[in-house]
Amino acid sequence: MTMTNVDELAYMPIAELAPQLERKRVSPIEIAEAVLSRIEKLNPALNAYYTVYSNELRAAARNAEQEIARGNYRGPLHGIPVGIKDIYEYGRTTCGSKPLDNYVADEQANSVRKLVENGALIAGKTATYEFAFGFPTNKSYFKPTRNPWNQAYDSGGSSSGTASSVAAGLAYAGMGSCTGGSIRWPAQCCGIVGLKPTYGRVSRAGVYPLAWSLDHTGPLARTVTDAALMLQACAGYDPADPGSANLPVPDFTAKLGHDIRGMRVGLMRSLYDSSCDARIRVPYEAALREFEQMGARIVEVPSITLAQQQAIEWPAVFAETAAIHVDNVRHRGDEYNPHAKLFVAFGLLVSSACYLMSARVRAQVRDELVSALDSACDVLMLPTSGTPVPRIAEDSPGLSIVAEDFAIYTPIFNFTGLPAIQVPCGFDRDGLPVGFQIAGKPFDEATVCQVAFAYEQTTPWHQQHPKL
Amino acid sequence: MNAKQVIAARLAEWNLTLSDAEIEQLAPAYERLLGWQSALEGMLRSRQIAAGMNFPESEPITIVALDRQGGRR
Repeated sequence: MTMTNVDELAYMPIAELAPQLERKRVSPIEIAEAVLSRIEKLNPALNAYYTVYSNELRAAARNAEQEIARGNYRGPLHGIPVGIKDIYEYGRTTCGSKPLDNYVADEQANSVRKLVENGALIAGKTATYEFAFGFPTNKSYFKPTRNPWNQAYDSGGSSSGTASSVAAGLAYAGMGSCTGGSIRWPAQCCGIVGLKPTYGRVSRAGVYPLAWSLDHTGPLARTVTDAALMLQACAGYDPADPGSANLPVPDFTAKLGHDIRGMRVGLMRSLYDSSCDARIRVPYEAALREFEQMGARIVEVPSITLAQQQAIEWPAVFAETAAIHVDNVRHRGDEYNPHAKLFVAFGLLVSSACYLMSARVRAQVRDELVSALDSACDVLMLPTSGTPVPRIAEDSPGLSIVAEDFAIYTPIFNFTGLPAIQVPCGFDRDGLPVGFQIAGKPFDEATVCQVAFAYEQTTPWHQQHPKL
Repeated sequence: MNAKQVIAARLAEWNLTLSDAEIEQLAPAYERLLGWQSALEGMLRSRQIAAGMNFPESEPITIVALDRQGGRR
């Protein structure tokens, strides 16, 4: 294969590659080699993977080829290399933290096991913010992941490596986790799709927790269809996860291609209007016009403000994180990234009354959004974040992330649990990606994907890849 | 007590000791936390049942309740 062929193969959507695999027009071995050659070439600079399973991937690809040759095709992920965020237990699992550099998990996270059962090939473990919250810097034990669109910039987080690897063609898709935006924000920074399903849709068993009541697991991919295919393969009830929902798993691709004419898109302006940077707002408003041209109706939906979102999200995140990490930090806090100890200490300052007030208000906001989705609109729409992609930092931002100028609009769908997808909608003037979110009713990921797909198909963004 | 003294005392309850510089960094975040508490109080819905006495209209159920909508739990 020439490098051009390798690159073309590595960037093919799963939905296009899968039929070719099934018809034996392309081999899983060829695909694995294409991905491995790009990892070898690009990962040293991007630091998207902490661990690459080269030999295991080749062996799994050979098995997949034999299975498909025998007629045992397992579905659209069969023979497709994917990356797994390094807080999922699967082989070496560092959580991006020095004390776990040599930890090798005995078990596999249940969602990863499902992906493997559906034929996915695990290419490696992808970089993460430390335990999904500790910002890496150039001084950290595990170095930051670089953005493939411009390597001076951060890839976002905490699912940094999954986002960077998928955008750079080092995996076809991957798994991330999301407590306040850690699937959608890095997906935005890297110009790809990030799908945070409804709370309870995908098992978290075997994934290192950050904040139990807010943690979600889900896929990142280059297209809406590929994200839906990934979700299909990993979703479902798991008694090992106390938050898992015992509900049937529908076909998440069922509505792709259905007309969205007449659908009502509800804007949550109060959350983003006063804080969204013009560099984000311009492509976002162009996306709004695109929806109108497709025949959707734009309506206004009352919502909370950014300050209110922070008042609800942060006490819950920090208190739960402190509950998880306080003993670790007492013993090995000096080995964490420098500010991580501060985050845990901050969580210990949250009073029980404050935590419970946050939980009560979450219930109110959830009920209001569900009510709006029942009566006023079919989906909700807002920018993913109002702040352009940050540069790689020399020093940690520390607790400054709780300041209001860090305008991110993703947490509202963590503390309400509603499904939300990030879709690219262009680039800012520095050439870095911009995206928006579509959210929907609980467990209605199919409609969320339908609306996102309709936009994706009318725009060129998903066909553009970073020049590497 | 000022904010830094409150922080040090609260962390001592958890047997967690921070340097003065670290407590200095926590102080503005702690002030913000107090602001969030006020914001949350302001957002809570309740109905008044007597002068100065409220009946809460929400309870701290978590988002797990979403999947009870179909009565499956």
